[in-house]
Amino acid sequence: MIRFDAVEVRYPNGTVGLDGVTFDIADGEFVVVVGLSGAGKSTLIRAVNGLVPITGGSLVVGGTELRGAPRRRLRELRARVGMIFQSFNLVARTTVMQNVLIGRLSRTGFWRTLFGVAKAEDVERAFRALERVGIVDKAYTRASQLSGGQQQRVAIARVLAQEPEVILADEPVASLDPPTANLVMRDLQRINRELGITTIVNLHFIDLARAYADRVIGMRAGRVVFDGPVAEASDEVFERIYGRSLRAEDVLPGGDE
Amino acid sequence: MTTVAGRPRKPRTAWKVWAWLAVVAGLTVLAGWSIDFTLSPSIRNVDYWLRTILAFITPNWSYFPRIVEPLWVTFSISLVAAAFAALFAIVVAMLASRVTMRIEWVYRLSRWVLAVWRSLPDVVWAMLFVAMVGSGPFAGTLAMIAFGFGIVVKLTAETIDAVDRGPLDAVDASGGTGFQRARVAVVPAILPNFASYALYNFESTVRASVVLGYVGAGGVGTALAVQSKAGNYENVAMIVLATLVLVIVIDALSWLLRRWLSR
Repeated sequence: MIRFDAVEVRYPNGTVGLDGVTFDIADGEFVVVVGLSGAGKSTLIRAVNGLVPITGGSLVVGGTELRGAPRRRLRELRARVGMIFQSFNLVARTTVMQNVLIGRLSRTGFWRTLFGVAKAEDVERAFRALERVGIVDKAYTRASQLSGGQQQRVAIARVLAQEPEVILADEPVASLDPPTANLVMRDLQRINRELGITTIVNLHFIDLARAYADRVIGMRAGRVVFDGPVAEASDEVFERIYGRSLRAEDVLPGGDE
Repeated sequence: MTTVAGRPRKPRTAWKVWAWLAVVAGLTVLAGWSIDFTLSPSIRNVDYWLRTILAFITPNWSYFPRIVEPLWVTFSISLVAAAFAALFAIVVAMLASRVTMRIEWVYRLSRWVLAVWRSLPDVVWAMLFVAMVGSGPFAGTLAMIAFGFGIVVKLTAETIDAVDRGPLDAVDASGGTGFQRARVAVVPAILPNFASYALYNFESTVRASVVLGYVGAGGVGTALAVQSKAGNYENVAMIVLATLVLVIVIDALSWLLRRWLSR
């Protein structure tokens, strides 16, 4: 359960990222957050794991209040919340396996980290995560040698190795070509359905949002301007979210397949 | 003077440049005059010069066996010193970059201490350690550790500053500690550069340890000082030649290693 209650994020330079955001996300939901860049989608997602600290209201994730949470409690929360990034954020010079094991760091001690010796059961978890996203054959390949789509799947495996309650995905397909974007979205959807992990994805392509979301949250200028099931997210709704008429650039080039 | 509309006028020559050049030239003349610098002795003593140069181009080959051991000592000092300098440097560099050190005062203090540390030249370190532990290879090794550390730690800290932030976010987001983010995300990213700095430091340590011999830090430099003071220039030439070959071999090996590391 994720509960936003009048959440406000004001950056040190005075910019308002979130302005009185209130909604609940139930366990196991697949929510897509849409909006133009600068609308606050990224701030919203990064507030959930405390990468962006909230400055007002209350945000409770799986029983943990994030407002003013000390560093230690933040780390405990982040262990239960996985995150996927637009630019994959893999450690390029190490192997796929080493990258997936980053998902186990919160349960790895000082000496094992220092000497890079993973527990056998963590290696097993990493292998299973790689099997789930279908690139187990690349386990000992250097991360930098993989294509964009493969790198994003390694990033998903890294999150799966964490065995999280929530997955946050911040524009996970914005750096990928259209067919690969669909593959990655399908992976995320399948993981949500099979493992029941609550998933929040930021997207700016309308067709991808319609194809994969159960629920759509529309953001504009730091506020929630739409929140409802995907069936209700008509073109008019998107025009209201975007504050302008729809354009060709709002759908994935090449369309859905 | 008429100008065609739209064309810019040629800027006036900056008189400031000429003024500064004049100041620098004036200072140089003044400096030379104050130390009685003149090129005339070098012309008057051509005879003596020729004899010395002749000695240098006819090294005393039979002296070579006697410098094998000091050369080995120099090599050993350099290797041990470079290894320890690198080890200390990678740890301390983590304290001297904002990427890995989030406590502001620790970061600032580290940077300040390291700046002071680097302001001491190698010969000063050598004299310091000779005074502390007596002359010999141990003092030389300590001096080279201290000096090399200052260089490697600076270069490494700057490399850490420039590291890609993405993987750091990933470690933070998965609940990792500050230490884990340094070990898992930063170390692999900086390793090729760091190894390259450590090897470069090894090369310059070999060269520097020759100079350090002059202050009694042991190795081939001590032999050089003794032979040079005694005026045995054929022996000095042999020492210089052997050292040159050693340095060239190490430079070449190090270059190959660095190229392989940054592949």
